[in-house]
Amino acid sequence: MVITGKWRKRRYRVERMLGEGANGKVYLVERDRRLLALKVGSDTVDLQSEINVLQALEGRAGSRAEPFLHDVDDLKLAGGKEYPFYVMKYVRGTKLPAFLAARGPEWFPIAGYNLLQRLAELHESGWAFGDLKMDNILAAEYGHVELVDYGGVTAFGKSIRQFTEIYDRGYWNAGTRASDAAYDLFSFGVLCVQLFQEKALYRHTAGTLPQNRSPQELLKLASESPELRPFAGWLERAFAGGFRNAEEAGAAWSVVMRRIGTGGGPRKRAGAVPGWTKALFLLSSGALAAVLYWLLLGQG
Amino acid sequence: MKQILLITDGCSNVGLSPVVAAAQALSDGITVNVVGVLDGGDLGEYGAKEIQEIAHAGGGMSRMANTRQLSQTVQMMTRKTVVQTIQQVVQKELKSVLGGEGAIEELPPEKRSEVVRVMDELGETSKLRVALLIDASASMKPKMAAVEEAIRDLMLSLQSRQGISELSVFHFPGNGHGDDASLDLDWTTNLSGVQSLFPKLQMRGTTPTGPALLQVIEHYRGRDDRRRGGEEDGMMSGYVV
Repeated sequence: MVITGKWRKRRYRVERMLGEGANGKVYLVERDRRLLALKVGSDTVDLQSEINVLQALEGRAGSRAEPFLHDVDDLKLAGGKEYPFYVMKYVRGTKLPAFLAARGPEWFPIAGYNLLQRLAELHESGWAFGDLKMDNILAAEYGHVELVDYGGVTAFGKSIRQFTEIYDRGYWNAGTRASDAAYDLFSFGVLCVQLFQEKALYRHTAGTLPQNRSPQELLKLASESPELRPFAGWLERAFAGGFRNAEEAGAAWSVVMRRIGTGGGPRKRAGAVPGWTKALFLLSSGALAAVLYWLLLGQG
Repeated sequence: MKQILLITDGCSNVGLSPVVAAAQALSDGITVNVVGVLDGGDLGEYGAKEIQEIAHAGGGMSRMANTRQLSQTVQMMTRKTVVQTIQQVVQKELKSVLGGEGAIEELPPEKRSEVVRVMDELGETSKLRVALLIDASASMKPKMAAVEEAIRDLMLSLQSRQGISELSVFHFPGNGHGDDASLDLDWTTNLSGVQSLFPKLQMRGTTPTGPALLQVIEHYRGRDDRRRGGEEDGMMSGYVV
């Protein structure tokens, strides 16, 4: 199937559907031998308001090296019905749980750190991501992380445009639904708990009265996970809204990463014969990456 | 912007048709949304059709939800209705300026951007009032905890807006004999001091949905009378030029 824009006449060959967000469906398309992602909206106003955010982000100098938004247009189906769409960079990657299952949990700290950096870029421009959840994060090689679906991005001070209950600060009786940096960091904390305590988290949300939901319960779940234990202090601060923005939260996160990277002996890795050498290498490269990121961040 | 959100699980059986009452609300500038709460059971063909017609006559939308989805559904409908109300005002303006249908879709994408930016701003900053009208007939009894949670959750969302948002709560049939609806909570911007929204609720058999809607419209009118001459919704028409 080929899509032709009504106003700008650009043609896109549709390869397959990539996913579905709150405002529409995303397809993998090809134009001039280049793969792109095309989002078709069901409502023109909702999609345009998402496009406005992307354009505003694009406008900030140096926020992204390559353009993210490629085209904005409408398409007409055979039946005559018209739908708005926009074309953006195609982001490869898998969701975090699949990524960690394939590479091992030692990639969690660096992936988390990279995610905080993506959030920091937004916070620096005065926006919260809003709808931070597993589905909206793609992880790739070396813990590289990208945010997808900008439907929830909200300027600081306004009410969050889109959210998902279990990641929502209000749902956990821990604050408002007004956009600020701490809102994203709260969702980030829930996401960490979900990564390692998914079943317990769902059990908890299903069996707890709304007025009894609290960040303390999330911290309790986190304390039962060996991967999250080193981050207990960090999580407590995030749930209490104690970080000014994701940059500050990232700096604190990297302190924990360095502590994990340098403390203790080699960690066991199931299945691998030269397990400990491999683990040691991964750990030290993780620490190296952390230091590099820290240096780059410090100079940037 | 004025909204009524009706939460019910069955069909009206007393007094004026709720569809007629919803039409009256709309002509007063109040949008009527309806949620049918199901838990296992269903509204029956007649009930399902009625909530659709009430919403249609009231210029709003209707949704079915179980108690677990109630908060999310209520929050989403309120937000969507704000967007639609503004869209209608903007559409009128566009029509008078550009002719045609005035639909946003007729504008090229570059022009849409500015219009939608103004719409988003209005949606966030305009004054909003939502009156909740809760069916308290016997079958709703096991669902009232979820209803109360949804109301508190809605208040939290509304408080996060930049514009002033007020909420009021009614239930029907009313407490007194022959009362169509009772006011549980008058216009407020904050629920944190309210211990329980429905203390000592007497669940009764009748469902006077139409008369109850009329009473909420009257409540809106009373408020407007007291405030005649104030800015009220005047800001919206003045804002979009």
